[in-house]
Amino acid sequence: MATLQETKKPRTLKEKLLHTGKRIALEKERYILILPGLVWYAIFAYIPIFGLTLAFRKYMAKLGMFGSPWIGLKNFQNVFADPAFFASIVTTLRINAGRLIFVFPFPILFAIMINEVRLGKPKKILQSIYTFPNFLSWVIVASIMINILGQRGLVNSVMGALFGTKPVAFLGKPDYFLPVIYLTDIWKTAGWSAIIYMASISGIDVEQYEAAEIDGASRLQRIWYITLPGIKSTILVLFILAVGNLMSGGFDQIFNLSNSATIKVAETLDMYIYRITFRGSVDFGFSSAVALFRSVINMLLLIFADRVSKAVGGSGLLG
Amino acid sequence: MTAARKKHRHFRDRFELMDALILIFLLLMAVIIALPVINVLALSFATQKEAAERPLMLFPLSPTIDNYFRLFQDPRIGIGYKTTLLIVLIGVPFNMLLTTSLAYGLSRTSFPGGKVIFYLVLLTMLFNGGIVPMYLLMLQLGLTKSLFSVLLAYGVNTFYFVITRSYMMSLPDALIESAKIDGATEWRILFSVILPLSKPILATVLLFYAVDRWNEWYNAMIFLRRNDLIPLQLVLRNIVMDSSIVNSLSIAGPHVPRFTEGIQSATIMVTMLPIMCFFPFLQKYFVKGIMVGAIKA
Repeated sequence: MATLQETKKPRTLKEKLLHTGKRIALEKERYILILPGLVWYAIFAYIPIFGLTLAFRKYMAKLGMFGSPWIGLKNFQNVFADPAFFASIVTTLRINAGRLIFVFPFPILFAIMINEVRLGKPKKILQSIYTFPNFLSWVIVASIMINILGQRGLVNSVMGALFGTKPVAFLGKPDYFLPVIYLTDIWKTAGWSAIIYMASISGIDVEQYEAAEIDGASRLQRIWYITLPGIKSTILVLFILAVGNLMSGGFDQIFNLSNSATIKVAETLDMYIYRITFRGSVDFGFSSAVALFRSVINMLLLIFADRVSKAVGGSGLLG
Repeated sequence: MTAARKKHRHFRDRFELMDALILIFLLLMAVIIALPVINVLALSFATQKEAAERPLMLFPLSPTIDNYFRLFQDPRIGIGYKTTLLIVLIGVPFNMLLTTSLAYGLSRTSFPGGKVIFYLVLLTMLFNGGIVPMYLLMLQLGLTKSLFSVLLAYGVNTFYFVITRSYMMSLPDALIESAKIDGATEWRILFSVILPLSKPILATVLLFYAVDRWNEWYNAMIFLRRNDLIPLQLVLRNIVMDSSIVNSLSIAGPHVPRFTEGIQSATIMVTMLPIMCFFPFLQKYFVKGIMVGAIKA
C-alpha cells in the first residue's frame, strides 16, 4: 500500500489502467475472498432482478426467462385491466395502514412500561416471554391461533365462561380478519420490537428524571415530558420505515391465517402474486409485470422513507 | 413534621399504586402471550374426553402421550425432521461462510470496484426480484425438486452482512497488518484472526440464520413439491390445514374418530421445541443483534 501512495498520480489513460491493474493485482486475494459471496449475489439476487424483464416478454418455457420474445407493454395492459390487481393494492394499503395505527404504538407502550418497573431477575423472565414468540414462524403462530380461536378453542371457552357468549368463528368471518391480523401481529412481534425503544430509553440522561422527581413531577408527567420526547426520534424513524413498508410485508402471516372464507379481505399484493403465479392458469409474463410493479413501488417507498428519515435527523436506512 | 411525613407518604403511596398498575399490565401481557402456548402444550398431552370436558385446560389431569404416539406414526414427521435438519445443518454453515467472507472482504472498500460492489450488495435491500423470477431461475437451473433450491435461495441476508461487516470494521487494523507481514493469505487471516475476534457477532448472526433455516417453509413449498422432502414447518401446516378442513366439514356430520386438536397441538410442540429449549439461554445474543442493527440503521 505504502509504495502505491508514494508514486505520482497517473496522468494518461495508459498510466491509469496500469495503476488500476497494479492495485487489482495487489488486492488479488481480496477478490478471491469475496468471490463466493459475489457469485451468490450475482446468481440469486441479480439474475432474478434482471429476470423481471419478463414483464415485457411473453414467457415460453422452452426459451426461458431471457430468451422469450418481447411484447412491449402488453402484460401491463392485462395487469391494469384486472380488477383483482387494484383490489389487492387497496387491501394491502388498508391492512398496513391499520398496522400503523393499531400495532405500531404497542412496542412503545411496552418499552415504557417495562422501563418503569424495577424488578431485576423476574424482569428478565418477563422479557423472555415477551420476545420469544418473535422467533416462531408464522406457520407455528398461525397454527397456535387456529387452535385457540377455534369453535372449541381457548378464547371461545373463556368468553363463554365469562360472558356466556356463543362460540364465534374468529377465523371464518371477514369482519374479524383484520382485528385477528393486528392482534396476532402484536402477540408475535411487540415484545421484540420493544427492545429498540428500550435501548433508546436507556440513552436518556438520568439527571433529567432526578430533577423532575425533586420538582415533584408525577410518574405520568415524567413519562410524558421526559421519556416520550427522549425517544421521539426513534419513534419517528421507525414510523417512517413502517410507512416505507406500506406495500409489502405480512405475507407469511396473512397466507397462514387466511382461508377461503376470508380471502376477500386478505388478498394483499403479495397474496395476489402468489395466486396468479402458483395457482390455476399461469402466465409468468403477467406475474412478472405485477412483481416488477411491486418491486419498483417498494423501492420508491423505501427511498422516500429514507429521505424523510434523514431530513428529520435520523440516520436513514443505508446509514 | 407530621404534615411533611404525611405528604411524603402520600407521594409514595401514589407511586406504589402506579407500580402495581404497571406490574398488573405487564403480568397480564405475559399471561396473554404464554397462555396460548401453555394451552397447546396441555392439549398435546390430553385425551379427547378431557379436552372436551375442560376446554380451559392448562394442565391435563390424566396426561397421555397418545397424541405424540399417533403423530410419530405419521411418516411426514420423520420426513419433516430429516428435511429440516438437512436444511439447518448444511444451510447455516453455507450462510456463515458466504456472509463472513464477504463481510471481511468488504470491510475495506478502497480496492478497485470495492465501492460499486458494496453498493450493489446494499441495493438488494431496496430492490429484489421476488419469488416469480426466483422460481423460474430454479426451474431453469433444474434445481426444483432438489434440496439445493432451498439451500441456495437463501445465501446472504444483507442485513446480517451489514452488522457483521460493521463489527469487523471496528477490529484493530494492526492485527491484520501483522498477519499480512507474516505472509498469511486473506482467507487465512479470516479464519485465524478475524473470526476468533468476532465471536460475539458471529454467535448472534449464526443464531439468526439457524432460526431462519429452522423456520423455512415458503421456498420449500414453492420449489420442492415432493412428498418425501417436506420441512417440518410445512408438515405442521399440512397437518393443521388438513384437520381444520376436516373440522369444518364435520360440524354437522359424524364425529371425527381422531382427536385432531391433540395431534395438531403435538405437531406444534414438536415443531417449536428446539426454539423453546434454546431460546431462554440464547436470548442475550439475539438482543445484541438487534442492538447492533438499531445503532447501524
